Formats: sequence, C-alpha cells, structure tokens
Amino acid sequence: MTTVTLDRTGERARPTAVPFRPRRTASHRRVHTRSLDSRLMIDTTSNEASQADADELAERRRLFQEQALPFMDQLYGAAMRMTRNPADASDLVQETFVKAFAAFAQFEQGTNLKAWLYRILTNTFINVYRKKQRDPYQGTIDEMEDWQLGGAESATSSSRRSAEAEAIDRMPASAVKDALQAIPEDFRLAVYFADVEGFAYQEIADIMKTPVGTVMSRLHRGRRLLRELLADYARERGMTATVPSTTTKGARDD
Amino acid sequence: MTDCGCTKAQEELEEFLHNELSAEQCQDIRDHLANCDDCSAEHLVGVTLSTKVKEACREKAPDELRDMILGALELKATAISGRRGDASADGRPGRRSTGVR
Repeated sequence: MTTVTLDRTGERARPTAVPFRPRRTASHRRVHTRSLDSRLMIDTTSNEASQADADELAERRRLFQEQALPFMDQLYGAAMRMTRNPADASDLVQETFVKAFAAFAQFEQGTNLKAWLYRILTNTFINVYRKKQRDPYQGTIDEMEDWQLGGAESATSSSRRSAEAEAIDRMPASAVKDALQAIPEDFRLAVYFADVEGFAYQEIADIMKTPVGTVMSRLHRGRRLLRELLADYARERGMTATVPSTTTKGARDD
Repeated sequence: MTDCGCTKAQEELEEFLHNELSAEQCQDIRDHLANCDDCSAEHLVGVTLSTKVKEACREKAPDELRDMILGALELKATAISGRRGDASADGRPGRRSTGVR
C-alpha cells in the first residue's frame, strides 16, 4: 500500500508503504480498498502536479499571446498572398498560431520570433494548402531559363527608366496585387518576404528551406516579372510608362 | 572614391536595395549612383517597386480572426493539459487497472 507522507522539512516525500488497517479482513475487500486508497492518493499527487503544469501552461499561453498575436495582421497579409482568398488565409493564420503555440516551449526566447512564425506559416501553407492549389509552375520554375521569363535587363535610357518608375508609382494597389498574384508562387513569396517583410536573404532561405542563391534568383526573377506585368498594365491603361525594349513575353505594340 | 562601373552596380543593385551588401560595397554603389543617371534611374525603379509592393500588401486581418485564434489557443491548451494529466498519472505507482476515472 502506498501513501504520501510529509518529511520533517514539510516537503512531500516519495510515496512509502504503510501497514494495513487490522479491521479489513476479507481479502477481496482488502484489494478493493487498497486500490481505492491508492487511487485517491494518486489523484492527490497528480492533481498537485497537474496544477503546476496548468499554471505553467497558462503562463506560456499568456506569453505567447503577448508576443505572437501582434504579428497577426502581417501573417494574414502573407497568408492572403499565399492562399489568395480571405477564408483560407484566416484558416491558415489560425492554424499557424495553434501550431506555434504547441511548439512554443521549443522557441528560444530572444531569437527572431517573427521569422519563426513565418517558417511555421510557410510550412503549413506548403503542407496543407498548396496541395489544394495546383500551380502549373511548381517544380520547374527554378530551372526556367532567363529567356523564358523575359528580359528586362536591356539597356534603356535613364529617361525611360524614370518614366517607368513614375508609372509604377502611380499604379493602384489593386494592380500591384494582381501582378503579384500572377507570378509563380515561389517568386511571389520571395518578393513578399524581402520587400514587404524586410527579411534578410538568409532568413528567407531558412523560411523557404532553400539555398540563399535560389532566394536571390527567385527574388530577381520575381521582381523582373512584376515589373513587366506592371509595364503591361500601364501601357494598356494608356499610362506613360515605357517598357523594357527587349522581351520575349508576347508581342509589343510599340 | 571608387566607381565600380555600371555592370557591377547593376548586378548588385537588388542586394543594395535589400541591405545585403557590406558597408564598403554599399559605398561603392553609392559612389557610382552619384555619377550615373542610368543606374540611378534603374535604382529608382527598384525602390519604387519595393515601396509599391509593400503598400499594396498591407492587410488588416478580419476583426473576428483574433477571437477565433484566442478560442483555438484555449482549446489547444486544454488538449495539452489533458494529455499531460494522463502522462503524469501513468508514471505513478498504483493499480490503475481497477481505477475509475
């Protein structure tokens, strides 16, 4: 039979054996009583233990909410670029917070919480949502040659470039979002992480689980595609943007 | 002052824009930009593109999302403490086979 005793210092000691009480005679009753007693004592100790656990968990939840929730709008913005619709974006962000909370004990305080949250967001998106959205570019995009993506590198005069900057500056946000949505996902995410979130290339590499060189290539190509799409938009709207003169993306009117 | 020339400048403009270059490399690019209209204009396009993308992507989560997340975290906390309760009880002496929860 086991019970919990207090030692001289008043601290709870390990359970120790105590003698049976003499009035219990029938063996089946003894067994029953013994197990009932020990169950009560187990409940006492595990209640104390689980109270400590519960306190620690409540504190962890408080800390997590205080530190992580301020990133909700930013994560939602990223989730919108990933899933392309508000309902999926909300689900993705919620799932990210739940997973992050479950793993929060492993998060090293003082390291970059924002990057850590984005890593979980990106993983969750890739594992859960990307499967639902077949992107025709997936798997081949990094191998595409520059000429397939069109070239914006050709020499243009500074006045043409200034006009391009001016046209981009006058673009409505919806056009920029549409353009971003139209480029391949890995490019879009690299651009988003660098230009919107201001992550360092190495952080983006960690988030996307890819070498830094690949990040740079995705970023470069993504931005170039974006520039072309915005130039197309400006030309269609009769805005005064000039476009890079040589490109393989469709016939040009000029 | 060292001017790195157009080719090197254009190669590194994107890294310059994203603060990925060393202080020394940054100074080389700045020196070049100060004297080259073409590369300055190219850099202006890059800066404008970054700014516009950043502005366009600013989002505000739906009002109800915060409450949804808080609710989900509470559920998760309950699930975690439930699992822990089982785990700690299993490690204790006693005959759980006859026990009633």
